[in-house]
Amino acid sequence: MASDSNPDADAEPPEPTTSDDADRGDEDALRRIADRNPTRLGVGRSGPRPTTEALLEFRADHGVARDAVHSRVSDDLLKEFGLVRLRTRVADTDQYLARPDLGRELDADSLERLERDCEPAPEVQLVVSDGLSSSAVEANVPQLLPALLDGLEARGISVGTPVFVESGRVDVMDAVGEELEADCCVNLIGERPGLRTAESLSAYLVYGPERGSATAKKSVVSNIHDGGLPPVEAGAELVDLIAEMLDAEASGVDLREDDREFRTE
Amino acid sequence: MTADPESLTSVGVDVGTTTTHTIVSRLQVETPPGGAASPEIADREVVFRGPVRETPLLDRETIDVGGVAAFVKRDLEAAGLEPATVDTGAVIVTGETARRENAEPLVHQVAADAGRFVAATAGADLEAVLAGRGSGAAAHAAETGGTVANVDVGGGTTNVAIFEGGSDGRKRGGSRVRETRCLDVGGRLVRFDDDGRIGSISPPAEVLAEALEFPIAVGDEPDGELLAALAEAMADRIVDLLEGPPFDRLTRELAIGELPTEPVSLDGVVFSGGVGLLVDSPPADPFAHGDLGGLLAAALREHERVRSWPVLESAEDLRATVVGAGTESTTLSGRTISIEPDLLPLRNVPVADVGDLADLEESRLRDRLEATVARLRELHDLHDLDAVALAVADVGPLEYERLGSVADALASALEPLPPSLPIVVVVRQNCAKALGQLLERRSDRPLVALDELAVQDGDYLDVGEPISGHDSVPVVVKTLAF
Repeated sequence: MASDSNPDADAEPPEPTTSDDADRGDEDALRRIADRNPTRLGVGRSGPRPTTEALLEFRADHGVARDAVHSRVSDDLLKEFGLVRLRTRVADTDQYLARPDLGRELDADSLERLERDCEPAPEVQLVVSDGLSSSAVEANVPQLLPALLDGLEARGISVGTPVFVESGRVDVMDAVGEELEADCCVNLIGERPGLRTAESLSAYLVYGPERGSATAKKSVVSNIHDGGLPPVEAGAELVDLIAEMLDAEASGVDLREDDREFRTE
Repeated sequence: MTADPESLTSVGVDVGTTTTHTIVSRLQVETPPGGAASPEIADREVVFRGPVRETPLLDRETIDVGGVAAFVKRDLEAAGLEPATVDTGAVIVTGETARRENAEPLVHQVAADAGRFVAATAGADLEAVLAGRGSGAAAHAAETGGTVANVDVGGGTTNVAIFEGGSDGRKRGGSRVRETRCLDVGGRLVRFDDDGRIGSISPPAEVLAEALEFPIAVGDEPDGELLAALAEAMADRIVDLLEGPPFDRLTRELAIGELPTEPVSLDGVVFSGGVGLLVDSPPADPFAHGDLGGLLAAALREHERVRSWPVLESAEDLRATVVGAGTESTTLSGRTISIEPDLLPLRNVPVADVGDLADLEESRLRDRLEATVARLRELHDLHDLDAVALAVADVGPLEYERLGSVADALASALEPLPPSLPIVVVVRQNCAKALGQLLERRSDRPLVALDELAVQDGDYLDVGEPISGHDSVPVVVKTLAF
């Protein structure tokens, strides 16, 4: 959105060009650029304010983003895929936002349930977390998970008992993976919602999960949603990536030689 | 593959009616940030332009294949290139040369000599499109969003490609080909001997001369006015080609392939090709090239209709087609694809389009796919092929269950094909990896699944080895119409 604090932004509009055609030409070009781009371009203004339409759209998108943060993932989804419900030490959304450290550790009940209900020492441990967007989980997991599970099964890779972690941060996968002594752990987590989509999911992967390990040890496949990497295609890509990680016994920068080369230019 | 994963070395060779040229270009490959985006060719730079040479002929009907191969070899040496370091590119035989008896072996041999993954191509429509991409007409349409025609006037043929700027052509610099129009009119339809006598008249020129009752014959020493009138008649046909329909009877007679049924309003016209170039900058001696090219260019320049056109300058000289072949023939597949690297490269893979599957219920999928496979078996001798390709415009919603149904139907429809014949599945949507994995579980045959590519029935594909660091393969979509 345009800044509303800069008085210069409201200065006289430029002199109209001499020909109507030239004016129209510019408008057409702007329309083409705006059509190619999902961001808010050329929404116009009314005096110093956004137009009513643009303002309402902005508020609606903002509302969707807020809902994504504050809503819960439904029990139906967890039941459909047999996900064991766990939670972190976070008490509520405000604390989740303020205390990332609490979102990385499971509460006592969940640790117990992990030991009781989940298969130990799998090759791959799957974690689904709401993160900052429950909507992302609801929108993408139903297409992603079957592609991922079938693909791993076809390659003979053992998958433990998949879990769902409420109020989870990315690194909660380290706690889950370490407790279960998994070779490799995957966290499908809702991304911070934006004003364009509130449904973007990321998949973080780590070989040899360990609490407190460096972020550089993690691989990531991001921007999973209908307008980005389609979830079903992401599931298939994760199969290949997991097979590569298990084979190389590494993840993150340890996995890809070329990721370690920093460009000097 | 290239030592530098960020760029591809591409070779373009154009063997035309009159001249043959080679260029070498560097294609810059970039993957936009954001994780889900596929790599694309972000920049194209021509780093070597070979000299313009007369296309060597053994006689009027036969191209000197050894002579052309020697030219290309010499040019690549001059550019400091080993064929082994060439990543991609295309050889195209154009104009009347494409109709010579040995055009097909020529183009395959030159392509094989130039590098492991250099495509052999031919066809008036492809020629028209490559010339328009090389001349900058396509880029102009993309920049302005307008409709721009490229008129490539060469020695044997005139090839028009009309480009439309739009929002759906991201991979091709933002313009799409609306249509092509091709005509047997060019500067070398009449050739003169050193003494000024007519040395040869090509059949299309005979058609024109007969229709207009111009008395010319081989061995004549015709006066300038008659020749100018013949050149004007040719220019009339080119103007008619661009301004029709309706088309004049003579235009229809000289047309190559289909003519369009609807007229197009143009925002710009670019002339390219050996004769097209002269429209802008006339030679001092119109007969310097020993043919009618100079007069044809003059007739176009003076033509009342052409004067009313919004003519734009070409970004290239007469090398527009070869620049197009070298810089614009390679596209990149999506990033998440399913391939068996041992199968690549694949060459001259015929494409059968299964069309849009989105509206087909599960039970109907198999019928459609079986019919397409039957067509492939009918049209091609499968034992001579590297692979066959099935193009799917739309699988329907990108859902796991739907892809499973499509994979089921595909696996069973493919059964009549020889089990060792590799299959290339090309989809437009980003789902090749998922579809490939589903297919692998249903079929043991060698398989390549590529996405984010648009191909058409009757096209041929060359599929190269993966570009290191980008998980994508270079693909040349081409025609092989001699």
